[in-house]
Amino acid sequence: MRIIIIGDGKVGHSIAEALITEGHEVTIVDRSETALLRSRDTLDAMMVKGNGVNVDTLMEAGAPMADIVIAVTVSDEINMLSCLTAKRLGARYAIARIRDPEYHKSLSFLMRELLIDYVINPERLMAQEISRMLRYPFTGSVETFARGRVELMDFRLAQGDLLEGMALKDLYTKKPELPRVLFAAVERGEEALIPKGDTVLQAEDRVFVAADVLTITRFFKAIGKYISGIKSVMVLGAGRITYYLSELLLDMNIKVSVVELEEKRAAEFKEMLPQASVIVGDGTDQELLISEGLDHFDAFVTLSGLDEENIMAGLYAKRLGVRKVVVKNSRDNYMDLLGAMGLESAVSIRRVTGNAILRTVRTRAAAKKADAAERLYRLMDGAAEALEFIVQDDAPYINVPLRELKVKPEALLAVIVREGQVRVPFGGDSLQPRDSVVVIVKGGVQTLGDIFR
Amino acid sequence: MNGRLILGILGRLMVLEAAMMLPSLGVALAYREGDAAGFVWTILILLAVGLPAMLLSPARREVCTREGLVVVSLAWVLMSMFGALPFLFSGSISSPVDALFETVSGFTTTGASILPEVEGLPHGILFWRSFTHWVGGMGVLVLTLAVMPKLSGRGSVLARAESPGPTFSKVAPRMHDTARVMYAIYTGMTLLQLGLMLLSDLPLFDAAIHTLGTAGTGGFSNRNLSMGAYNNPWAEMITMVFMLLFGMNFVVYVRLLRGDGWKSFRSAEVGAYWAMAAVSTLLIAVQILPEYSSFLSALRYSSFQVSSIMSTTGYATANFALWPQFTHVLLLLLMVVGACAGSTSGGIKVSRVVILGKAMAREIGQAVAPRKVRLIKMDGRLISEQTVRSVLVFLFIYIAFLFLGTLAASSDGHDFVSSFSAAASCLSNIGPGLGVVGPAGNYGVFSPAVKMFLSFLMLAGRLEFIPLLALFHRELWGKGH
Repeated sequence: MRIIIIGDGKVGHSIAEALITEGHEVTIVDRSETALLRSRDTLDAMMVKGNGVNVDTLMEAGAPMADIVIAVTVSDEINMLSCLTAKRLGARYAIARIRDPEYHKSLSFLMRELLIDYVINPERLMAQEISRMLRYPFTGSVETFARGRVELMDFRLAQGDLLEGMALKDLYTKKPELPRVLFAAVERGEEALIPKGDTVLQAEDRVFVAADVLTITRFFKAIGKYISGIKSVMVLGAGRITYYLSELLLDMNIKVSVVELEEKRAAEFKEMLPQASVIVGDGTDQELLISEGLDHFDAFVTLSGLDEENIMAGLYAKRLGVRKVVVKNSRDNYMDLLGAMGLESAVSIRRVTGNAILRTVRTRAAAKKADAAERLYRLMDGAAEALEFIVQDDAPYINVPLRELKVKPEALLAVIVREGQVRVPFGGDSLQPRDSVVVIVKGGVQTLGDIFR
Repeated sequence: MNGRLILGILGRLMVLEAAMMLPSLGVALAYREGDAAGFVWTILILLAVGLPAMLLSPARREVCTREGLVVVSLAWVLMSMFGALPFLFSGSISSPVDALFETVSGFTTTGASILPEVEGLPHGILFWRSFTHWVGGMGVLVLTLAVMPKLSGRGSVLARAESPGPTFSKVAPRMHDTARVMYAIYTGMTLLQLGLMLLSDLPLFDAAIHTLGTAGTGGFSNRNLSMGAYNNPWAEMITMVFMLLFGMNFVVYVRLLRGDGWKSFRSAEVGAYWAMAAVSTLLIAVQILPEYSSFLSALRYSSFQVSSIMSTTGYATANFALWPQFTHVLLLLLMVVGACAGSTSGGIKVSRVVILGKAMAREIGQAVAPRKVRLIKMDGRLISEQTVRSVLVFLFIYIAFLFLGTLAASSDGHDFVSSFSAAASCLSNIGPGLGVVGPAGNYGVFSPAVKMFLSFLMLAGRLEFIPLLALFHRELWGKGH
């Protein structure tokens, strides 16, 4: 597809990179020559210098022929206006990043009048991501498939764990009492592995497993990684993410306590959300955290503007024994470092935004092909992907036993959902029309047929 | 620096060169003049070297700027070295230095020859000589990107290092598509010219040779007297027009195909290019009027020579070395300037001259009113200070090498005009110069050492210096990169 990205910032650059790898024709528009020069050497895209609201610029970028326009500049207003201009010029679909909550109050009106098809609110996306992490506190990350029937969760193996040194094919013969889950992917160092029967789990591995919620919960209990439900959360910083997150958590009857340094902002926050308790003070001050009873909270979420503060406070909470710690971190390349330090649940606003946009683009691309993925999740920062497909009525691989359908070595058929029942596939199984199938792959796969040799 | 990656790309290039020799092999087989074996051996050698290197395909496919420079320079050097083999194997040229000079001259679309006598050469060899023009014109790495999409990821690094002009602009988001569009337009125009040449009653082989030479703005001919041998006004006119067309920025054709109509031609560079061609043609026609029967006839020879020199092709229909002095200086000036960026031509390029002119005007204006903010714009776009700076540096390097080349050429004892024009002609990839290297002369008169240096100048001029000179930079090979 022909895609125009307006704004060559962090988010713009990273989604451009992902879209190019997926084979789309990408044009990047930015006002800054410096940003474009940086991208010119690393991305196989066309660069157009100019303002995204300028008709000439958009014409040069090929807006009349564009399938999707994605506006992710720093300014909400430019993003909205760029979408309107591009749509009026003939672009087919427009995605805008809009951050200011003021606009979100009249969002449907704005979207209709400004011809915006999809609005991305990074702060709200972040809040949703974190609330899901708190709902399943035992996993580092969680992705949902097949309308909530399948969950993909992960845990990190420590020295002396039950599963350490175990080959996957021996797992259920040696430990028959373990609930049956599918081992979907393993992150070892910087490498992503698609596990096979002879894969041996090692300490420090980050292991992704898939099954329905109940089974997966029992599995985590059995291997001693279970954390019971979160009832109270302390949040560092009273920004926009905290606002959206507190709303979600309060709806789930979870007690929220917010620590904010600035008195004025703390007061405003309390005014907006009277049910939350707000504490004025320095969230990096350990004494304050202790005196406010951090060690009695079930979870601690650090959402201040500074990565360093978030990480240090997170590490401190971890040492105090807080069961679940989520830190906000904007540097993607530190994610695995944080994991190694025990901060499994790190969230990055850029990654969350990027994934949401990619998912939308995928859906648009899928609309052109019946056989394309319904949902896509990027695991381990894109090293592997989890895709959900619906088996088409006329697909050539229907009714063929799986052992005869040779699956490529870098792919794994993880779960089949048939008539609401989740099953971990075995060699004798075969695919049936209307099955939902979750597949784990390394590298680009467009259709379900692509994973077979 | 990723050695395996560089080796992998170079290996693919060698295999591509082997494929490029197939048409010449076909011609050689058709004419049965004993040169076919030379092509077969060269193809086998290229495959023997290229295939193992190609199989060493790298795990990491990204080319960074540093590796791009190395790949581009080494590619051109290696292509020329292997491309020289058919000349040696067939016995057409006996000295390796001469064969290398001839091949470099071919790939860089210079068209300078060391052969005093070309009419006796086997047809396969003649075809190969001209075919190198065609490939070198649009660029071998651009061709690689067009046929091997997998390299395309960061291929713009390669294309930018190879394409002439101060800035490189893609015409499609993906480099692979850009390369294909460029080659499609190039091939289409070549075929169009070939058809017209055939209509003008030129024999098929001669038409093909001169079309290939025109398209790449090279200038190799299969006749000792170049285009002048035919005394065919129609063929001359077609060649003249196409030389100018191939010297124009190809972005114009992309825009034409997109349906932009006359707007496609609206650029400062294209305007200056046609204006310079028109004014020079008129000035020269007036100067040479006494030597020809009519103004029309004078116009015929002056227009051909101006477009041949400006587009850096180097075909001749008259021995312009015998023309008045004024025309020599004017032609030398055109040699240095060359044609448009983003074309198949050489020289400093009209766009750089336009930028230089604007930078000059700004500098003078700055002296008069120092506090006034002045921006350099071309076609309504801001030219960044970095581009202006690189254009200035380019001019300096060009002048430095022009004088170094003159110095080297004069070491053989030739007069100033011959030495200077030989250096300018090689740097701008034209071919003929003045004096001993004029349209009636050739480069065989130089010593082997000078020929090697001139070959270096041709490569340096074609790649616009930076990639080739970067090879000599200490940090490129330093540790930790």
